Amino acid sequence: MITPHRLSVKFYFEELSVDAEAFIPVFHRWIREDVVPNELLLDVADYKHILDGPAILLVGHEADYVIDFTDGKPGLLYVRKQDLGADLSNALDTTLFQALKGVKLTESDVELQGKLKLRTDGATFVLLDRLNYPNAGSNGDSADPAASAEAHLSDSLAALFGSDATVTRVDNDAREPLTFELLAPSAPDVDTLLSQLGKVN
Amino acid sequence: MSNIGWKDVLTDDMPIDLAHEIDIFEGQMELMGQGKLDEKVFAETRLRRGVYGQRYDNGQRHDGFESRELEFDEADRIKGPDTLWHAPGMQRIKVPGGGLSPEQLDVLAQVADEYSDGILHITTRQDIQLHFVHIEDTPDMMRRLAAVGITTREACGNSVRNVTCCHLSGVCRTEVFDATPYSDAFAQFLLGHDDVQDFGRKFKPAFSGCESEACGLVMMHDIGYLAQIKEVDGKPKRGFKVFVGGGLGTVPHQAKVLSEFTSEEEMLPLVQAVARVFARLGEKRNRNRARIKFLVAKLGIDEFRRLVEEERETLPHDDRWTAYLDTLPQYEEKPAKPPTFLNGQVRSTAFNQWFETNVYSQRQEGYSVVTVNLPLGDLTSKQTWELADVARKYVGDNVRATVEQNIVLRWVSDSDLPGLYEELKAIGLGDSGAGTIVDITACPGTDTCKLGIASSRGLAGELRTRLTAKSASLPDAIKDLKIKISGCFNSCGQHHVSDIGFFGNSRRSGNFKMPHFQVVLGGRWRDNAGSYGLAVGAVPSKTVPEVVDIITNRYIDERAKGETFQDWIGRIGKKEARGMIQPFMKLPAFEQEPDYFSDWGDPRVFSLGDIGIGECAGEVVSLFSMEISPAESEAFEAQIALDENDPARADALAYSSMLKAARALVRTQFLDVGDSPDRIVQEFKGRFFDTELFFDQYAKGKFGQYLLDRHQNPNPNPDNDSAHRLIEEALLFIEATHACESKVGGNVLVEI
Ligand code: HEM
Ligand code: SF4
Repeated sequence: MITPHRLSVKFYFEELSVDAEAFIPVFHRWIREDVVPNELLLDVADYKHILDGPAILLVGHEADYVIDFTDGKPGLLYVRKQDLGADLSNALDTTLFQALKGVKLTESDVELQGKLKLRTDGATFVLLDRLNYPNAGSNGDSADPAASAEAHLSDSLAALFGSDATVTRVDNDAREPLTFELLAPSAPDVDTLLSQLGKVN
Repeated sequence: MSNIGWKDVLTDDMPIDLAHEIDIFEGQMELMGQGKLDEKVFAETRLRRGVYGQRYDNGQRHDGFESRELEFDEADRIKGPDTLWHAPGMQRIKVPGGGLSPEQLDVLAQVADEYSDGILHITTRQDIQLHFVHIEDTPDMMRRLAAVGITTREACGNSVRNVTCCHLSGVCRTEVFDATPYSDAFAQFLLGHDDVQDFGRKFKPAFSGCESEACGLVMMHDIGYLAQIKEVDGKPKRGFKVFVGGGLGTVPHQAKVLSEFTSEEEMLPLVQAVARVFARLGEKRNRNRARIKFLVAKLGIDEFRRLVEEERETLPHDDRWTAYLDTLPQYEEKPAKPPTFLNGQVRSTAFNQWFETNVYSQRQEGYSVVTVNLPLGDLTSKQTWELADVARKYVGDNVRATVEQNIVLRWVSDSDLPGLYEELKAIGLGDSGAGTIVDITACPGTDTCKLGIASSRGLAGELRTRLTAKSASLPDAIKDLKIKISGCFNSCGQHHVSDIGFFGNSRRSGNFKMPHFQVVLGGRWRDNAGSYGLAVGAVPSKTVPEVVDIITNRYIDERAKGETFQDWIGRIGKKEARGMIQPFMKLPAFEQEPDYFSDWGDPRVFSLGDIGIGECAGEVVSLFSMEISPAESEAFEAQIALDENDPARADALAYSSMLKAARALVRTQFLDVGDSPDRIVQEFKGRFFDTELFFDQYAKGKFGQYLLDRHQNPNPNPDNDSAHRLIEEALLFIEATHACESKVGGNVLVEI
């Protein structure tokens, strides 16, 4: 399936005992220490004045890392913007792999260690591409991009997160991008997920 | 895999001319990528499409310790002098008078999350900005906006910028008449107009309905219009008092009166005459003196007026000058609901607070204007479409952005106010305090601006948080004071016209630099930005919250009954005012207060290393270079059409590219050639072909003949071969046009 213009995944915090502001110096340090191989990190954007939205962004060329409070649910959102690969599969692998590395970096950061934990029993995936993946009502047609994307995500994510993992399309507003919710009761840990994805990559 | 793009999907939704302009821009991008376009011409071209530079786009960033290179791919590919192709940029989107419909809000929200960072930012001139945008996404973004009637054309660059208009026009209790349809007509008339393509700098217009309120901030604009009604032959006649040559920036100027009364019939020809005088006599080389305010100051307003009047006499007639008047009677705003009264509903304390500051009772009984107070002018994509739905439910299309970086919903039926408030609160947009001391204006500053010195947004956020926390206990005398902040002396945050203004600068302490803000006191927002404040001294950025406390406390203690802040500052004078902040001007050493050496919201040790070359002054490129570049892009598009097996389109584009090139050449001698192909060819022939100026040393008249032939004998059924030939001819013709222009010298002479 066609590569979406952008693809994002959000992992949710299980615990978060620091203010969003605490991520500002951390992200600046990440830029300085160039902690993400293969990604060019550019700057930090501060939107903490906004209620329930993206709060602190680590803006990069290939991707943004966002401490995001949308819908009142804090999480680490990874938005892949460039170099997504040749098709949806590639895009999904790259995005997940890098996002999980981001989760690991965040949890093990010297300043944040012990103050937060992200969960892997679920995540939200968003296809930011209203041209190729419009968020229109499903017509039951198997060529419908939303239905095909759902099938694709279900298969790929079940292979990774365990056979009990389920993917459901979020019934959001048609103006919003096409969004899927992953539920993964087995909640494999980040290292396991990364090593599996590492084999694919 | 689909190859269908937004261009195909939206073909029927975009106005044809807008769609074509965007294709041309895309072609220019392609040519730039191939190194076939001059970098300055491309920079000015993209600026005139609102595609602006952003901090770090020269590939350098200071990380607090040292300046480091940002290693973008294709490091030698640029989009302007010293500006890397792949570095993210800002997109400014023009919103005339700030007017937005729910449908437009929906699309703005969508392009923000697909191409930017999901945040829409309202600017101090009623525009919308998106940041961190990749240039390659801009054509599709423009198409999606064009499909809902939005253009980014001339949002930046040396052009007529967004036409602002008071956000209360039409519902205001003190206005003379509604200036909105006039400002709309003005914006449409000047958009892309031939006479506004050769300015040395930007040109900002504003409209206002009345003199005493802040309204359109007419006094600080390049050209400003104040609604007036004058008795002519016993009948009331609509028109404007016209001001010219105002502006902020390093050297703020109050506008001068160009005309005490210009009738509605004369409004457009007058500005056209002003534009011609500015294009002809305005400074082009020294960027710091190129705004019209310097020309007015140099000539004196009387001489400037004389030249404009002289120019007006010789303008060729244009039906559009008065055509808009026929549409005025149909202009009306439709409320979504009938008028009602707020009476007897249960009101919470929070609602009452919000009602006091965010609701303006309209001239039309039973209706109010609600201000959505946006922190730092920002809202998320999600909030934007939620707000669009709130608008649909309560006010329909009656939404406007304001110069205080808020959004207003007009024509709210009064009994809906409590319900509307709850809905705004639920989407995080229910902050009270609109237009008060907590509603702080700030330019982009060091967050994204290449020229930023100190963090205007960081400071604004901090002050907003602190002042909101104690807003309940703030005395009334200071509640309504205005705070405005710019990140440097350029004053994009309009600090000159606030009670308490700040602009960023820097001071040294030991071996380190410390971010500072210059304190500017007593500017006047009302009376259309009636007077500018007094700079009293610079204080460390981190002390500003305390400085605000000291100043406001002293004002509360000392003010005479009814004395305004401006009057108080005037009374105590500069020396005394400076005395208030003097204690903060003694700078600690790094070891004593390391925190003073970094800015709000930015822990890096402060430096000036990130300041780049701003693009506000655009690039000085000749009118010819700007006008020949779309011709080249069209010739390029013609090649693509041929590749796509569409010879008819290829033929039409190749012909059109020759016409554009010929027109660009003719306009170096004769500005009023107009758009008709017959006229262009006739002028080209008379001036350049018959005179042999266009002749090549060897080929003689051959290249010029290509245009004459194609014009006289269009091919009714072009096939691939003939289209191919015509494209080759067009390319040679364009080359010859360049050669001729450099031979003749491209002297712009206005010929009447
Ligand atoms: C020498 C360069 C510049 C000068 C002299 C300048 C001056 C100004 C002034 C005086 C205003 C506000 C007042 C008004 O006209 O209403 C303004 C508006 C603005 N400026 Fe600048 N500016 C410069 C460069 C920049 C840059 C590099 C940025 C950063 C991206 C920027 C961002 C803005 C914004 C966001 C506005 C509100 C604008 C709008 O929608 O047109 N300016 N500028
Ligand atoms: S005032 Fe200075 S820092 Fe602020 S936007 Fe304008 S140029 Fe940039």
